[in-house]
Amino acid sequence: MLDLITGIYRFRALVWELALKELKLRYKRSVLGFLWALLNPALMMVVLTIVFSTILRFNIPHYAIFLLSVLLPWTFFSQSLSYGVECIVSNGELIKKVAIPKLVFPVAAVVANSINLLLSLIPMALVVLAMGHPFYGTWLYLPVPMSALILFTLGLTCFFAAANVFYRDISHILQVVLSAWFYFTPIIYALDFVPPNMRWLFKLNPIIYVINGFRLAIYYGQLPRWQSIVASFICGLTALLVGFAFFRKYQDEFVYYV
Amino acid sequence: MSDQSGLLAGVAVRLENVTQRFRVIQERPDTLREVFAKVMRHEVNYHNFEAIRNLSLEVPSAQMLGVIGRNGSGKSTLLKIIAGVYRPTAGTVHVEGSLAPLIELGAGFHHELTGRENILLNGLLMGYSREEMKSREESIIEFADIGKFIDAPIKQYSTGMQTRLAFAVATEVDPDILVVDEILAVGDAAFQQKCFSRIEKFRRAGKTILFVSHNMIQVTEHCDRAVLLDKGSIIADGEPAEVVAYYKSLTVPEMAPAH
Repeated sequence: MLDLITGIYRFRALVWELALKELKLRYKRSVLGFLWALLNPALMMVVLTIVFSTILRFNIPHYAIFLLSVLLPWTFFSQSLSYGVECIVSNGELIKKVAIPKLVFPVAAVVANSINLLLSLIPMALVVLAMGHPFYGTWLYLPVPMSALILFTLGLTCFFAAANVFYRDISHILQVVLSAWFYFTPIIYALDFVPPNMRWLFKLNPIIYVINGFRLAIYYGQLPRWQSIVASFICGLTALLVGFAFFRKYQDEFVYYV
Repeated sequence: MSDQSGLLAGVAVRLENVTQRFRVIQERPDTLREVFAKVMRHEVNYHNFEAIRNLSLEVPSAQMLGVIGRNGSGKSTLLKIIAGVYRPTAGTVHVEGSLAPLIELGAGFHHELTGRENILLNGLLMGYSREEMKSREESIIEFADIGKFIDAPIKQYSTGMQTRLAFAVATEVDPDILVVDEILAVGDAAFQQKCFSRIEKFRRAGKTILFVSHNMIQVTEHCDRAVLLDKGSIIADGEPAEVVAYYKSLTVPEMAPAH
């Protein structure tokens, strides 16, 4: 496991460059360029605010903030996975020609999306101010759930990226899983909406521990209970260990299948 | 990145009993459905193909070794094993010092990025830092002779321009071992001349060069030693002129007029 980490450390400049490359290519040939990283969540927020304040009225004050506080981390998670699942396959030409630690690709995918996540906090803060929602000091707590989220996402990205090398169905399956996962996670609703006798089932969903901290800190201005923090890091580290172990086991085979 | 012990031992590359086996699957199942279908019918067909067979090779440092052989004899596979792209099925590989592989044209180039961005990316792929690459950028651009195209995306480059840039990056980063696979075949005469004068400079600096070519004149003129590969094994090893002559004697019956 340590060899993976030292490999990444040695090639950290490459990871950074690959992440920037991914962002650059995402916004290349667009007039607004990097501004889209800010505009995208901002426009999404406008749409959601309109939909949920006029059509689908929940009895939740400042619903847009309630939603966005977990939608942003979810978007990070699902985008990292949907970009990341292809990262080994799409860099196949490189892997066939240059000896580099393969882990740089999933790490770079997650780093690129982490930059997006950080940028999206700017429009998030603007919405909070614009809607007159209190700007809580608990925002300072955000790095903690963010770390757990990044560990969790990186673990799953490594797992799926490696599996996708051998069976390309994985990336299609993943898209379906992600959209189902979205609706079974309390994102557009709160866990309180779930019938009490079914809540235990929802609590088996590891990502709720990971993203819960975001909603508490941004919307409620509270800190999670320590049990919840511990649970989020257990989920994050477990995902990372499983993902890394799987990736490590098969990484030498990638070159024959890409 | 260079290792003192390697310099003392005087061996840059050592391969012992290396075998590289590829599993060639006829119509490899790419999707789960196909796997299920094949498993149900018990027909996952494959055969093992040994691209390199029990090969041992020692390259002393500061040697320029020519690797020759017909298409499919295992030359590129051998270089990829040395470059660390393949982990061989059996045997051991020791490489002392840093290595710059020029295995195929534009290895590590990204076509949407500009020449300048690709210089950086290519250097980082070889494990160099951003600062090291920035300090070498100007001389790379100068050697590659790309002119103002350096800030245009690589996809607008001609094949020759890409080769020049790739060669410039790989040689400018000052590796201990340079691996050149057939890449010089695409440059024009003037650039080839430039490349060989740089290769000569490398040799004088005591660097090791592994050189794959189908151009027998280049091999005879520049290499200290040549090995002839056939079906994944070395069948001749020695003076370039002798190995080349032997190779020609083997292939004459099937060869078009020699060039």
